[in-house]
Amino acid sequence: MIWLTWRQFRGQFLASIALLTALTAYLIYVGYTIRNAYNTDILGCLPANGCELDKVKDLFIQDHRSMVTIPAIVLIAVPAIIGVFWGGPLITRELETNTHRLVWNQTVTRTHWLAVKLAIVGLIAMVVTGALSLVLTWAASRYDQLIGSRFDPLSFASRNVAPIGYVIFAFVLGTTVGLFLRRTVNAMAVTLLLVGVIQLFIPTIARPYLRPPVTQSVAYDAAVREQGGILSINRDAPMAVTGYAVPGALMLTDHEDLLTSSGQKAGAETVQDCTGTQGQAPQQQANGLDQLENCVAQHNLHFSIRLQPPSRYWSFQWIEFAAFLILGGLLSGLAFWQIRRVRG
Amino acid sequence: MTSVLHAERLTKRYGKHPGLVDADLDVPPGRVVGLVGPNGAGKSTLLGMTCGLIKPTSGTIDVLGSRPAANASQLAKVGFVAQDTPVYANLSVGDHLKLGAHLNKTWDNKLAERRIKQVGLDLSQKAGRLSGGQRAQLALTVAAAKRPELLIFDEPVAALDPLARHQFLQNLMEFVSELAVTVVLSSHILADLERVCDYLILLAGSRVQLAGNVDVIINEHYRLFGSVSDLQNLPAEFEVIRAERTGSRSSVVVRQTGARSVAALFPQAERLDLEEMILAYMVRANEGSGDLNNVYSLSTEARR
Repeated sequence: MIWLTWRQFRGQFLASIALLTALTAYLIYVGYTIRNAYNTDILGCLPANGCELDKVKDLFIQDHRSMVTIPAIVLIAVPAIIGVFWGGPLITRELETNTHRLVWNQTVTRTHWLAVKLAIVGLIAMVVTGALSLVLTWAASRYDQLIGSRFDPLSFASRNVAPIGYVIFAFVLGTTVGLFLRRTVNAMAVTLLLVGVIQLFIPTIARPYLRPPVTQSVAYDAAVREQGGILSINRDAPMAVTGYAVPGALMLTDHEDLLTSSGQKAGAETVQDCTGTQGQAPQQQANGLDQLENCVAQHNLHFSIRLQPPSRYWSFQWIEFAAFLILGGLLSGLAFWQIRRVRG
Repeated sequence: MTSVLHAERLTKRYGKHPGLVDADLDVPPGRVVGLVGPNGAGKSTLLGMTCGLIKPTSGTIDVLGSRPAANASQLAKVGFVAQDTPVYANLSVGDHLKLGAHLNKTWDNKLAERRIKQVGLDLSQKAGRLSGGQRAQLALTVAAAKRPELLIFDEPVAALDPLARHQFLQNLMEFVSELAVTVVLSSHILADLERVCDYLILLAGSRVQLAGNVDVIINEHYRLFGSVSDLQNLPAEFEVIRAERTGSRSSVVVRQTGARSVAALFPQAERLDLEEMILAYMVRANEGSGDLNNVYSLSTEARR
């Protein structure tokens, strides 16, 4: 059975290996390019020579963004591709060409047949994806280090171990959907749709709540602006900070109301002295804004944020890996149940 | 000896549509069984349930003493060649032999290679490029070289031209005598099977119409001629299969179910050949059994 599975899968496997080799070669090139640039541009940026590190960093990120982002997008697409092209047709192609009637009448039970197919192709899918993820993680490591947002949806889903979980899930999903639909084209379309929806749903709905988020109280001071927090003062709404982010964390909140020390929502009137006449819109000049912020910072205000701290990155990687591995296991249970019921 | 195939009230429904209804069968070993019936009669359904590809809706089926496809050792005992003889189009003939060798503990590689050589197949040729006849030969080889006790073919010759058909059946018969297996072959054309089978199962309208050894069946059926009144009140042990009337004369196909000989009562009774007999059953199945020609409603009554 191992021989047959391998013999049937050989063509697809060799094609994927060719693609994988090409991608790996490109990523190794990317990895060395980024490392060289990092060593000369970033490490070689000495303030004594009049080099502005912030500007150099921005330039570095700009220069290498597409180099890292495009392979990441490819890697994000890998589970869908494998689910659609390896998983979907795995059984349906046999059902459509009637070869299941040949193979199910050899001295191998259907369950055994399915188990070997799932195990071999699934394992190859995991190894291929894992290798790709590993190389990309290595190639992009300096870039990721500078950006410092490992929880970014694109980055998180294309680095380390999470992609291995996604791919085994997508593969088993494709196979199982195929067993129920019996038609290759239908199975491929449904698998693509499901994997797409799930990939959209993980970073937006699921990931932020995989562990109970941490709530932190942040005092409104000069540091807030450095973290991207922008003060918004409106006549009718309480004052708020938008866009405040802890570096490397997964932020659950983006718009937080400013609170007074007693915990009350702070309206514009709280900082009347800074804005001048009550209810008047604050001046929009850059200098004036700095003044305004400094003034507001004197009022002992704070806001509360909810987040998954950066230290949880690895636990999240493993949680998603394990969760999708388990989901894949449950789905394969469904496949084993269904294959007994499939009419030959 | 356990029967090769034993079915009791075996039924398969596809939703509301009946595939096979209440089939009772008991096929002894060592036969070449012809499964005959028009398209849609339930032949593939019966064969699918025999090899375990299809699960019965109700009733039971035992093949060589246990449930079909119940486990690997049961699978080893039954060889099946599905309709249109499916093979892996992108695997070579040689790959199919390797497939057989890897997937069957009982694989007889010498037999397989000898047969492939005998029918002139090239081991390196892709199975997708084979002609229908060659594909059937390959499928036959794969099914036979696992040395099953029961070998099943679903319409093996339907897609073949007359020459390939002849060759295939000849090869099959060589196999049968060499391997001492029980064979079940289905066809919607009796002529395909008439030469080779010694046991007949006739399916029509999703029901088993007739099953038994060919020589026994032949001896049980007669055609009677006479006036309508002569043939109206036949003894109860003469089952009327089909009645035809031309003017005041009529002919009746009967099956002798009791000890009383038809030939003794009706000296002018004629034997039927297999084809006529099968036609009579098919016509009956088509009209719905028990709903015979008006003229013979009395004899139908008598049988009840």
